[in-house]
Formats: sequence, structure tokens, C-alpha cells
Amino acid sequence: MKHPVLENRSRLVIWWLAWLFLTLGQALSYYLAYGSFAKVSILDAVVSVLIYSAIALSLWYPFAFINKAESKPLSLVLNLVITGAISVTCWMLLTKLLISQLLPEQSNFDEYWNATFPYRIGSGVFIYGLVTLTYYLFVSLTNLSEKKSREARLEALVRETELKMLRSQINPHFLFNSLNSVSSLTITDPDKAREMVIKLSEFMRYALSKKDEQPVTLRSELENLMLYLEIEKVRFGDRLTTEEQIEEKCLAVKMPVMLLQPLYENAIKHGVYESTESVMIRTRVSIMGDHMEITISNNYDTTPESRKGTGTGLSNVARRLELFYGKEAVMKTSREKGVYTVSLYIPAYCM
Amino acid sequence: MAKIKTIIVDDEAPARDIIRHYLKELEEIEIVAECSDGFSGLKTISSVKPDLVFLDIQMPRLTGIEMLEVMTEKPVIIFSTAYDQFALKAFELNAIDYLLKPFPKRRFLEAVNKAIEKIRSGSETKEPSQLLEKKPEAAIPVNRIVVRKGSAINLIPINQVKYVEAQDDYVMIYHASGKALKQQTMKFYEDNLPAGDFVRIHRSYIVRIQEINRIEPYEKDNHVAVLKTGEKLPVSRSGYKHLKEELNF
Repeated sequence: MKHPVLENRSRLVIWWLAWLFLTLGQALSYYLAYGSFAKVSILDAVVSVLIYSAIALSLWYPFAFINKAESKPLSLVLNLVITGAISVTCWMLLTKLLISQLLPEQSNFDEYWNATFPYRIGSGVFIYGLVTLTYYLFVSLTNLSEKKSREARLEALVRETELKMLRSQINPHFLFNSLNSVSSLTITDPDKAREMVIKLSEFMRYALSKKDEQPVTLRSELENLMLYLEIEKVRFGDRLTTEEQIEEKCLAVKMPVMLLQPLYENAIKHGVYESTESVMIRTRVSIMGDHMEITISNNYDTTPESRKGTGTGLSNVARRLELFYGKEAVMKTSREKGVYTVSLYIPAYCM
Repeated sequence: MAKIKTIIVDDEAPARDIIRHYLKELEEIEIVAECSDGFSGLKTISSVKPDLVFLDIQMPRLTGIEMLEVMTEKPVIIFSTAYDQFALKAFELNAIDYLLKPFPKRRFLEAVNKAIEKIRSGSETKEPSQLLEKKPEAAIPVNRIVVRKGSAINLIPINQVKYVEAQDDYVMIYHASGKALKQQTMKFYEDNLPAGDFVRIHRSYIVRIQEINRIEPYEKDNHVAVLKTGEKLPVSRSGYKHLKEELNF
């Protein structure tokens, strides 16, 4: 960890101001207590406080080390006490040595020293405690703010990962069956095969390129979905038909990328896969106040034995809506007379 | 030499096209029918009695795997599917080969030659039940059971199954509208019926918990489960322990 005072100019200024205040305090109190030694008191205060200040600055290093290394409170306290004792002793010895060098002719210095000795120890320990507390406070505040920003980063990361995970992946079944159709068409209808490869490429490019969660317009979503449906139409022929009713002004509305894909995949899976009859997928989009309503419906084989899905597609869409819009979006599904309908109401943002 | 009667079952027209195209070059093979869903496939197979069937897995009404489960006389099967989660299951059901779409011609011919060899040598197709026991894990979540009753094929939704009884190599499935016999193991049902809904109360019985009305002591140490319908099923000691765990009593 960086030095809290030396690494920061404004803190350094405050630091020196605090020590200046201490110098004045000591000089004044010793002068008032032992009025006869005015000159000595001032010199002593300046020298001793300067020395202590230097010691206090370097105290950061053992403190940071002890604080990090010691986890047990008892050994932590013991270490701090020992450090404190050494610091105070050093400070007193250095101060005495320096002042006796500076004032050799001052014979009453010893008397003065002896008189102020207990107060020196007291103030030394007191200042040591103050410095340690300051450092301690600094460390815990830094840790706290670091923890907070780490948590915020982590939360953002989790959300982003979740959104990515929920993004519909390209269904391998779709991909390989489409490629099989292409393989077949190269023999029976090469032009159509080329057309299908191009459509498949465009669809894949869209699906793969939108890696981030930047919203896209309904227009580009629908264009891509139409590609998807056209590819499926090659596979299923007459068994799949589609119909769209889109209000023009909806096309500019922004929405999460590939949001609707799982809904169409479901329509194919539960409608077309399971039915020998033709299945019609209808898409309707309209504006209702400040919301946009998207309705996708398909007829399905009503025999009760048909396989049920796991509901992953739907719950993924619901979760994405929640992450993206909060409580602003609603999804509803219904089954009526052999028609399955899923409706989304999302805010009609045009960012 | 008689031609090999072949049927293609796949719900996607282009997928049937390519198989037909590849087979055109093979003098020995004669395509006698093409089907686009499981039911019609099964019907055609039992009436035409082909030697060789190309079978897709994901199809409307009945999957290729379910078809194979209820076929009585089995032709040689080549599965062709787009996604390989079913491969293991297909081999358990004794398909001779398994083609992943899209497949190259070389790989396709390899499979066909294997099939021709087997048909010409006239070796018996093994019963699938022996192989099925090995790996009970179903590739598709089980939520219906396909059974044959005479010439009719019935689909029993899992939520209508009341209990399953072991009968030698078969299991008898008691459901809302009757009972049905199927060649499968108890182990399969123990592993594949939804665990929270069913409990194995005896070596020979797996019961839907909701169907149990009460449990009565029977002789010493033994119990019987009385169903809502009044039927009584034996509960073994370990079955009683399972019940205790499931019902927390």
C-alpha cells in the first residue's frame, strides 16, 4: 500500500500544519510550566517535533507491515506497543543529543530536561497513539472504498455475463439441418443452394457480431428474424408459412438484440417440428401509448401427448426483459383453440 | 439377387432428396417409400416390410427413437440426424450406423455398404431390449411413453401414469385409461420417471406418489400401499425407506 502522506501533496501540507500546531503547543506549555527556559523551550519544541515528525512518517512502514501480517489482535497490539516503545525511546535520545549539541553552553539544560522528562514520555506515547490511529483509520477507509468499488465492478460483470448467457445461442439443430438442406440443394437446385448459403451467412453474421448488449432497432431485429424464417421455410417447405403486421413507426424502437429469436425458435420447435399440418407464424407489432406490443402466435398440434419443452427459452426472454427494462416490460403467453400466443409489452424507447 | 427394399423417413424434404440422390447410383437398392412423420413411417414399415430404413430422429408425432422402440420386426436402421446428442441412444437401439447431417457421400456409402452386408449375410438383428439396459439415460426428456397395442400405437403422457409393474422382461404400465405392456426395464423407469413424482416401493413396483391413498402395515415388518383406486401394492423394506424419505414421515 502506498504511503498515505508522502504520496499526496495536500495531505502532506495538513500533516506539517498538524506538527506545527504540536510544536507551538509544546513550546507554549513547557514555557508556561517552566517560564525561565523560554529560549530552550522554543528550540526544544522545534527540534523534538521535527524529529518526531520524521519518525512518525517512517512509522507507516512497520505499521502497514504489522497490520497486514498479524491477524491475531493480541500479537497486533503487542507489536504496536513494542514499536511505540522503540519510537519514543529513539525520539527522546535523538532530541537530547541534538539539543545538547546545539546548546552546549546552556548549563541549565539538564535541569530543564529532567523536569520535562515525564511529560515528554506522556506526549510521546500520546502522539504515537494518535499517529497509529490515523494510519489505522486511513487503512480501513481505503479498504472500505476499495471493497465497494470491487463489489460494484463484480456486480456489473455478473450482470453482463448473465445477459450474454441469456442471449439465445444459435441452435445447433437449426444450423446443421440448414447445412444439410444446402448440401441437398447443391444437387437439386444449385441457385437455391447459393441463396440459402447467403441467407445463412447473413443470419450468422448478425447473431455473431452483436456480442455486446447495445440495443438495436426493431427493424434490424425483424430483418434478421425474416432471414431465419426463410431458411426454415427451405427446410420445411409448405409446413411453415408466416405473416407480419408491423406498424411503420415501431421500426425505429430500440430493443435488446436477439430478444425475439427464442420465441420464433419455440414456435418452430413446438409448432412445426411436432405437426404434420401447415403451421402459420404470425407477427404483430403495434404502439400502445408509450409501450410497444409484440405478439407472436402459431398454431400447433393439439394432441396432448406432444412433447413439452423445458421452458428455458421463455424464461430466458423473461429474465432478459427484467435485466434490461426492470419492471417496465411484461411478457404474457396464452393457449387458445390450438393457437399459442406470446405477447411482449416493452417501453417504446427510440434512443 | 432381389433388390434391397428401402424406406426414407425424414420430415424435411431436402434431407430426403439427398439420400434419394445418393442411393440412385446403387443398383442393389430400391426405394419403395418415403415418409415425412413418425406415425406414417411406422405404418409404412409394418405394411411394406422393408430391408433398410433411413430414419431421422426429430420428427412430428413420433420420434425415430420412439418408432424403433415399438417396432416388432426390425429392418436394418441407419439413423440420420443433425445433432449428436442422440448417437448413443441410437446405437443402443441397434442401429447399424448413425449419420450426422450434413454427411459426405463417402461416409454415406460406408453406412449403406455396412447395411447391405448385414442384409445379404442375413444375420439376425438383436433384440434392442438387451442393449437398452446398458444405458438408461434418455437423450430426450421422457414425458411420454410410446406403446403398441395390436397394430395401434399409443402415446401415454407421463402425467397419466399411475404405476409401473415389472413382468419378466416387460413392464406393465398402468395409466389413467388402462394398462399397456412394454419391453423395457424397471431400471429405465426408475431412472427416467420424474424423481419427485414417483417412488420405487418394491422390486416390481414404481408408484406415482399422488396415487397413494394410505400405507398400511401388513404382517410383520411389511407394508402395503393402498392406492386411491383401492388397489393394494406390496411395499418392501427398502421401498418403505424410500417412501419415508420422499414423504418425510
